[in-house]
Amino acid sequence: MSAAGVMTWQESWAARAPERHWLGLCIFAVSVGFLLIFGAQRSVDRLIEVRDLLPLALYVPSLVLVHLTLVLARFRGDQLLVAAVALLSGLGVLMHYRLGAFSVGSLSEAARQYALYPVCMGAMLMTALAAMRGRYRYLAVWPWLWAVISIGLLAALVVTGQRFRGAIYAAGFLTPSEFLKLSAVLFLAAFIAARAGALTAWHHGILPPVKALLPLAAVWGLLCALLLWQRDLGMFAILNLVLLLLLTMGTGRIGYLLLGVTAAAGGALVLLRFFSHGARRVDAWLNPFGDPTGASWQLLQGLSGMYSGGLWGQGFGAGNPEYIPIAASDFVYAVVGEELGFFGSVLVVLFFLLLFQRGFAIALRCRGVFARLLALGLTAVLAVQTFLNLGGVTKLIPLTGLTLPFISQGGSSLLASLIAVGLLLAISDGEPKGRGRTKRRKA
Amino acid sequence: MNPLATFNTLIDSPAWPTLQLGLHGLFFLALLYLLKRLFDLRRTAVLKGLPKPKSIAGGLVVVLVLGSAFGAVLAYQATWQLTGMTRPDFIAFMQTYDRRQFNPAHRIARGRIADRKGQILAYSKEIDGRVQRVYPYGPAFAHVIGYQDPTFGATGLEGSANAHLNGSAPADLRAWRDLGQQVITQREPRGQDLVLTLDAGLQRQAFAALDGHAGAVVMLRPADGALRVLASAPAFDPNRLSADLFQRGDTQARLLNRALQGRYPPGSTFKLVVAAEGLAAGQTGPLRCEANGYTTSARYPLIRDHEYYSARRSGMTWQGHGSLSLSRALAESCNVFFAKLGVQLGHERFARTLDNFLFWRTIPLHSSEYGSLTMTTGEAPRIAGSDQYGLAQAAIGQGRMLMTPAHLALIAGAIANDGVAVKPRLVAGEEPEGLARMMPADQARQLQRMMRKVVSEGTARGIDMPGLAIAGKTGTAQNSDGAPHSWFVGYAPADRRAPEQTLAIVVLVEQGGYGSAAAAPLARDMLLQAQKQGLLP
Repeated sequence: MSAAGVMTWQESWAARAPERHWLGLCIFAVSVGFLLIFGAQRSVDRLIEVRDLLPLALYVPSLVLVHLTLVLARFRGDQLLVAAVALLSGLGVLMHYRLGAFSVGSLSEAARQYALYPVCMGAMLMTALAAMRGRYRYLAVWPWLWAVISIGLLAALVVTGQRFRGAIYAAGFLTPSEFLKLSAVLFLAAFIAARAGALTAWHHGILPPVKALLPLAAVWGLLCALLLWQRDLGMFAILNLVLLLLLTMGTGRIGYLLLGVTAAAGGALVLLRFFSHGARRVDAWLNPFGDPTGASWQLLQGLSGMYSGGLWGQGFGAGNPEYIPIAASDFVYAVVGEELGFFGSVLVVLFFLLLFQRGFAIALRCRGVFARLLALGLTAVLAVQTFLNLGGVTKLIPLTGLTLPFISQGGSSLLASLIAVGLLLAISDGEPKGRGRTKRRKA
Repeated sequence: MNPLATFNTLIDSPAWPTLQLGLHGLFFLALLYLLKRLFDLRRTAVLKGLPKPKSIAGGLVVVLVLGSAFGAVLAYQATWQLTGMTRPDFIAFMQTYDRRQFNPAHRIARGRIADRKGQILAYSKEIDGRVQRVYPYGPAFAHVIGYQDPTFGATGLEGSANAHLNGSAPADLRAWRDLGQQVITQREPRGQDLVLTLDAGLQRQAFAALDGHAGAVVMLRPADGALRVLASAPAFDPNRLSADLFQRGDTQARLLNRALQGRYPPGSTFKLVVAAEGLAAGQTGPLRCEANGYTTSARYPLIRDHEYYSARRSGMTWQGHGSLSLSRALAESCNVFFAKLGVQLGHERFARTLDNFLFWRTIPLHSSEYGSLTMTTGEAPRIAGSDQYGLAQAAIGQGRMLMTPAHLALIAGAIANDGVAVKPRLVAGEEPEGLARMMPADQARQLQRMMRKVVSEGTARGIDMPGLAIAGKTGTAQNSDGAPHSWFVGYAPADRRAPEQTLAIVVLVEQGGYGSAAAAPLARDMLLQAQKQGLLP
């Protein structure tokens, strides 16, 4: 293995050949998808114009730019992650286009929608470049900064947000709680990495170190209270799962997991009792045919769509997602099931699994505690969010109102997810030798 | 050449569907090939920047957890997406509420609905790749059979027997095996037929006889509750549902099943209940019935017989019935007698009797896990202990007393059946089910003789004829909307006692005037037709 500094761009070009190959296949698959949608849209109402080519025309150079920049920066990080994200977000662009996100008003009115994908991919690239070569370790310097940002995001939401479908969403383009996924994980990783020793020291092996946990509990309690105040049960579930995972993996103490599971079981009962919003969703989940035209309408329409899709699907653009309320965000997977069939759903899930597996593999290979926890936390957030969304739409678990990463419509979700992948890429680039050893001694 | 224009022409060309199918396959192949290449090239794209993992245990745990979590999602998804037809309520939901043209649930060969002789009352026909429900007799069965429509849902038996009709509720092992084969071959279960107790000929005659009037006809076999006729008018055409039918304030209330759900003042037909109560109390008269009427207090208007009014209209004075026995009073439908009798019997007995006669109930005629078709029974005002006049009014079926035609049919059936009310049923082959004993057998027989007298020499003598001994009671129910509602409640034959060969009948004609004028002849024609068909001896 040669040292990082002496790698030329020609070597980097050669080393990233698989990525080039994979991205080329992504572009091919997504182009075929666009042809299918064009065909379906034409038969309904209108001619295909130049404007319809624009989403694809922006997707292709975005990938090219990502690849070339990574080559020029002699980036040694993961290539498979880039390919999986390129495909999933490509499916997202297809779905946005198919569900009419780009057809609002004139070209200039929809400019923000067109700009969204290149901007988000750019954000991923920038994050990766800024944090590579071990520079992500600067993120661990002030854990409390992330705590303040997290609480600030939620507090801003309480002030500016509006109630919609039983939960609070911020007005306008950004949904601040999406970025909570980043800031909360950064806080947890930094905090636990800095105090790993104290957190590991359980009294007699059965009592958790209360004193070391106290600051964490204070921040976390406030965070959870704000989330519950906003009835964001989905995000609440994600963050608590990640908390347990990071505490357990950061300290090697299985006790945290057991403690958490006990608390979760008790908490779930209390929460469902006091949150009618959550109880209603559980009712609609357990007994969907009790109120088929009311509380369970969306769920059952989604499942009906999937049923009509069958094994092979109706084909891109040939389904009827307009019968599923808010299909574009929470229920986009039902549209995938309807138009690509069960087979297509399996393929999409496989790409997600590839991404998560890669993320966890990166985490497991990190030597630094902060890097490991950060990679673990970011991947876990994406994986749990995906699971909660897919499980909700297929009625395996109650609906939590979370978006599907990379595919659901919604700028904040895409931006936050791609920034998370950017951080993962930066971590996969590794730490420069020498300096890294002195840093690691602390952990 | 403009490539976009070429593409647009290509999409419009007849080759496009094939091409689209090819592109769909190509899309899958592209994804599969990408997966394969990701797997092939994974070794050349190793993470150079990170140290090698110390053990593979962590990686295994990750794969295991991810695989089982998302595997569970996909497996569960498959139970809806691929084998959803084994979920009856899901299929029912899609047939009722799913508007996707190509949803396989719409192509399920839904079972037919037939009358007792196998006449088809509802079947499915495929038109342009979409199955449509056809109702050959249109409005005549609209309420009892209901409709099944992707936009408007499912009602009546189409609703309550939905799972049975669409085949997703297999009855036995063989049906399960058939369903399994269909799952494998075509994803479309074949529905099961539903055979009813109704008689199509009689039902159509009843509907035609109502002839534009609002009203209802119920005919059932008292011995086992088998409904032969359940007609309600005005109705709608289930083959052509339109949105205006569902608008609030449809003055005709065409969606209302008047036979099962329509609440009307029972008028004199309620005297049957009071007569049963009088028999039970041993109070069979005679009572003096003043020609001028009867009231409980000078503050209230007099309750009089209709003869009083008709005599006055023609400028004469009516002499009155004089002293009447219960039997005579029922035959003449004497208001004064029954008002007096009601007051004599008292509040407590009155309330108990209403409960015996199953007031304030909802009785399912056919039910499944996915819905039921029900009849409601009557409701009576709670009369305060000090209110004697309210009791007098209730005893002649006026005041706030309300009953449904089906409830009166249940009572007529119970009288003909020596006191036992049997649950009305619509589906052939269902076990008869006793509901309640409304009165002891000997009282029922006494009442039977009295009801025969109503037809042979009382208010309904106009329909008496040699061929068939009808027993019954007329009713003329005052109401605030205009002319009185015309009732006839009865059964035939009254002379022979063969329970299988007896039919009870209730006819209601809204604002049809005297019971003897509109409802009674209609009931007679129905019974004669039933006799002609061999349902009656």
